[in-house]
Amino acid sequence: MPSKKSLHIESSGQLCIYCGACVGICPLNCIYLDETRITFDEKICTRCEICVRACPVGAIEIG
Amino acid sequence: MAPDLTTDVLVIGAGPSGSMAAKWAAKAGARVLMIEKRQEIGSPVRCGEGMSKDWLADVGIKPGRWINVEVEGARIYSPSEKVFEINEKHAGNEVGYVVERDEFDKQLAIDAANEGVEIRLKTAATGILKENGSVVGAKVKQFGTTFDVRAKVTIAADGFESQVGRWAGLPTNIALRDMDTCLQYRMTNVDCDVRYCDFYLGKVAPGGYVWIFPKAEGLANVGIGVQVSQIKGMAEARSYLDRWIDHHPAYAKGKKIDMVGGGVSIAPPMKQTVLDGFMVLGDAARMIDPLTGGGIANGCIAGKICGTVAAEAVHSGDASKKVLDKYEKGWRVRLEEKLYRNWLAKEKLTTLSDETFDKIVDALLGVKLEKLNVHNILKAVHEKYPEVTKEFEAFL
Ligand SMILES: Cc1cc2nc3c(=O)[nH]c(=O)nc-3n(C[C@H](O)[C@H](O)[C@H](O)COP(=O)(O)OP(=O)(O)OC[C@H]3O[C@@H](n4cnc5c(N)ncnc54)[C@H](O)[C@@H]3O)c2cc1C
Ligand code: SF4
Ligand code: SF4
Repeated sequence: MPSKKSLHIESSGQLCIYCGACVGICPLNCIYLDETRITFDEKICTRCEICVRACPVGAIEIG
Repeated sequence: MAPDLTTDVLVIGAGPSGSMAAKWAAKAGARVLMIEKRQEIGSPVRCGEGMSKDWLADVGIKPGRWINVEVEGARIYSPSEKVFEINEKHAGNEVGYVVERDEFDKQLAIDAANEGVEIRLKTAATGILKENGSVVGAKVKQFGTTFDVRAKVTIAADGFESQVGRWAGLPTNIALRDMDTCLQYRMTNVDCDVRYCDFYLGKVAPGGYVWIFPKAEGLANVGIGVQVSQIKGMAEARSYLDRWIDHHPAYAKGKKIDMVGGGVSIAPPMKQTVLDGFMVLGDAARMIDPLTGGGIANGCIAGKICGTVAAEAVHSGDASKKVLDKYEKGWRVRLEEKLYRNWLAKEKLTTLSDETFDKIVDALLGVKLEKLNVHNILKAVHEKYPEVTKEFEAFL
């Protein structure tokens, strides 16, 4: 199986404004937002990049 | 470990929708617990803070100090910046207030508390409890401790980022074309007009619009919504908004004092919002108006119905889907037709070229509209630019 690309959410507050847009759009329901902590489930995420487009400030990167 | 709790009605999320449902359920005699994962109700704000006012009395909300300004109307700017004004004459009471959203949300929570609702902050639902196919409460985490809350009726009012509905088994997923990603600055030292909410259409905000909602002289919310399906790269909402501001001297000279973002669904009404023991409400049920992006009013209107039905189910000892369907029917009677019609209109509008937007606004400028609705608008446009309305025949 080809290895998955990596997904990075810049959630230390330098970019992320904790708006929840990515949480609501993720088709697999695998991003979690808790006040100022954002995490996602590596194993479920398919790297579909939808959240990358939905983030208004560009805090999510897939490489 | 904290002991498990029981209640009649569990409301997840203390936004306007949740507080409304909680209040009306408690008013009708149910024991209600409302949980909120944040530490402060209403904050941080994720809202343009504009709302109509004709529905407030109906759901029992009294005007309060959460009102910043009462506007006289709205101004729609075409891509070449021809302006069409909508005022109280043809919009009826649709025009309204610019509000202090965190104050508003807190006032609604206070109203709920005054009816006896118990509120717990820093308390997040982390899962759903199910027994024999019925929802019987939720797993929650408060201050790092996990416990169960068992409830006869569970209401998911957890907003745009809703996960509770999906955990319970309702497909609340949205398509990319049914979501706008939004960014807004609150700006001071700008030349805004406190009499109007302004909307700028066209390629400045693909599939959405730029809004200016005035909060006081010189102070306004300047925001943008862009349809996700029209976005290709990263941070496009911010780029579009910054570009728009740069091109408008009245705002380019302003200073930003606040920045908020978020997702707005511009989706057709959900097919199902009720399960045995369970209802989903407000943004979590995709009740935002797909044309305007406004969701406060619809969430509150549905919230009252939701809370009332929850209490009825508690009193009758039957919270099956069959009983809760009264909520499903109730909100559909009030909201569904308009949601669906405005979703269709949105589907069309998001495909229009700047040139077509200009023609539509131009045609409207030449006529006296009695009442503003899709039909009357199209009629006016048809008379001047029949080729434009061809695509809209379904509405005529
Ligand atoms: C940028 C932007 C601008 C907007 N502008 C306008 C506007 O001008 N006018 C308008 O009418 N509408 C506007 N909207 C939409 C409006 O904000 C929403 O429709 C409204 O907030 C819906 O209320 P709600 O109670 O359904 O959800 P919310 O207000 O989102 O409340 C949901 C609550 O649930 C909590 N929650 C979430 N998950 C959990 C959990 N697991 N456990 C416990 N609690 C949880 C959240 O913390 C939140 O407090 C805008 C939205 C955005 C993003
Ligand atoms: S890449 Fe797709 S699956 Fe992964 S977190 Fe983003 S939206 Fe979800
Ligand atoms: S959409 Fe972007 S800014 Fe908003 S919570 Fe997700 S990563 Fe943060």
